[in-house]
Order: sequence, then C-alpha cells, then structure tokens
Amino acid sequence: MASLISCPHCGARPKEEFTIKGAVLSRPAADAGHQAWTDYVYLRDNPRGTHREYWHHTSGCRRWLVVTRDTVSHEVGFCQDAAAAKLAEVRP
Amino acid sequence: MSDFRITLRPALGSAPRPGSRGLSITAMPEGHVVQVLGRPHAPDLFGVLERATGAAHRSVRAAGPGQWFIVGDAPLSRDEFAALSTALQPHATAVDQSHGRVRIRVEGTIVERMLAKGTAVDLDPGAFPVGTSAMTLLGHVSVHLTRIEIAAFEVMVLRGFAESLWEDLVRMSVEFA
Repeated sequence: MASLISCPHCGARPKEEFTIKGAVLSRPAADAGHQAWTDYVYLRDNPRGTHREYWHHTSGCRRWLVVTRDTVSHEVGFCQDAAAAKLAEVRP
Repeated sequence: MSDFRITLRPALGSAPRPGSRGLSITAMPEGHVVQVLGRPHAPDLFGVLERATGAAHRSVRAAGPGQWFIVGDAPLSRDEFAALSTALQPHATAVDQSHGRVRIRVEGTIVERMLAKGTAVDLDPGAFPVGTSAMTLLGHVSVHLTRIEIAAFEVMVLRGFAESLWEDLVRMSVEFA
C-alpha cells in the first residue's frame, strides 16, 4: 500500500491521515436501468496496475482527492482535489 | 429550562504539569476560537480576514483551502462575535468554536524533535516557518499545529481530546527531561 500521499493542499502526508473511499466511477443517471445501478453500487474491478480512487484527507484539509496509484508497484501518481478533477472532466 | 446550570470549566484544569527541563507544555487561555469557512476555490480571503479581525489581539490561522481559525486569548462577547461574523459576510461564514477547541503551547529548543514523534509534517523552520499552520494527526489525535515562535508551537485540539493529548505530549517529552 502506498504510504505517502502528496495532498495538493497539504503536501506529502502519511496514509494514516486519509480514508480511502473507493474507485472513481461515474454515477449513472437516476433513471438508468437496474443493471447499471447494481454495477455502480456493488460491482468493483480489482485492477492490476493504475487505479484511480477517491481519498478523503480526514485528518488534514478534509478535502476529497482523486489519487492515481499503481496497485503493483505502490507508486502514487497524480493527486488532485476531487472538485478540481470534476471541473476538468470533459462532459458530453 | 435546563435542570443544570452550565458552567464552563477549563478543559485542562486538573492536568498535571510536566517536569521536563528542556520543554514546557502549557494550556493556553481559553479565549476564543472562531472557525471561518469560505468557498474552497474562491479568491484568497486573507485581506478580508485581516480587515475583519482588525487590530484586536487575534490571529488568523490557515486550516486548509477556504478554511481558517481566528484565535485570541480574551473571551469574545456576543456583540464582538456578531461584528466579526458580519465583517466576513458575504465571503465566508464564522462559527464560534470557543467552547469546542483547546489550545496547548509547547515550547523548547528541541520541540520539533518531540512533535516529530507524533506527526509526519516537516517541522524544520525552513519548511515550516513562524506563522505556518497545518492540520495533521499527532499520534491518533487530529490537531491543528501552528508555529507561533521559532521554538514554540500551538497545538489546537477538540476539547474532548485535550486531556488525552496532554498525556501524550507529556509522554513524548519524557525522553528530554
């Protein structure tokens, strides 16, 4: 497990300060089918390699982050504020 | 009407004083702590905060994007808080936390070495100069750290954790006694 996360607001901090909140998935439309919602709520991939997750800096700035990490090498890549990530997202 | 009269007692009133020579741990006066919440990606509000706090004996401490604490040693009256709150509008919201957060001063030439036992924040004066603040974990307790002087830190903690943190700080300083 990655042990140092470079929070865009606080700098490098140990993982104990954070809470992992799971994979970054796009939420289905409210009227999407049963299958789409089941997938979104219950089904998760267990990727080998690069993984994008929501992390909450619980004991720091209390901001939600999007952390890209490698599940094999434990390398932490890009860390971004979740609000900023959402703004940067290209929406149809 | 409550059956009990609510009286404010100091959170660290009964805490034993540590006997270390190199370090001193003192409970700071329970004056006021006001949490200020702005919008995280709004323009910098430091100017607004400076104007709102005025020349009074208060300090502004950063606490993450769009969040600050305004602290002072004297209690804040209802009118003073209302004036402060109005001065911050419409940029930010003030929440009085004076009853909920306690400040502890730790001081000494080796204070960084003592605090480094509990936190991973780089406390070197080069990386963490006087006036810098950080929200972090000290052991298992979430605290707000501020360097108030070159060899003195203010540790702000939720009131309910104050006594436990005090004991932790005392234990952390035993080595340097």
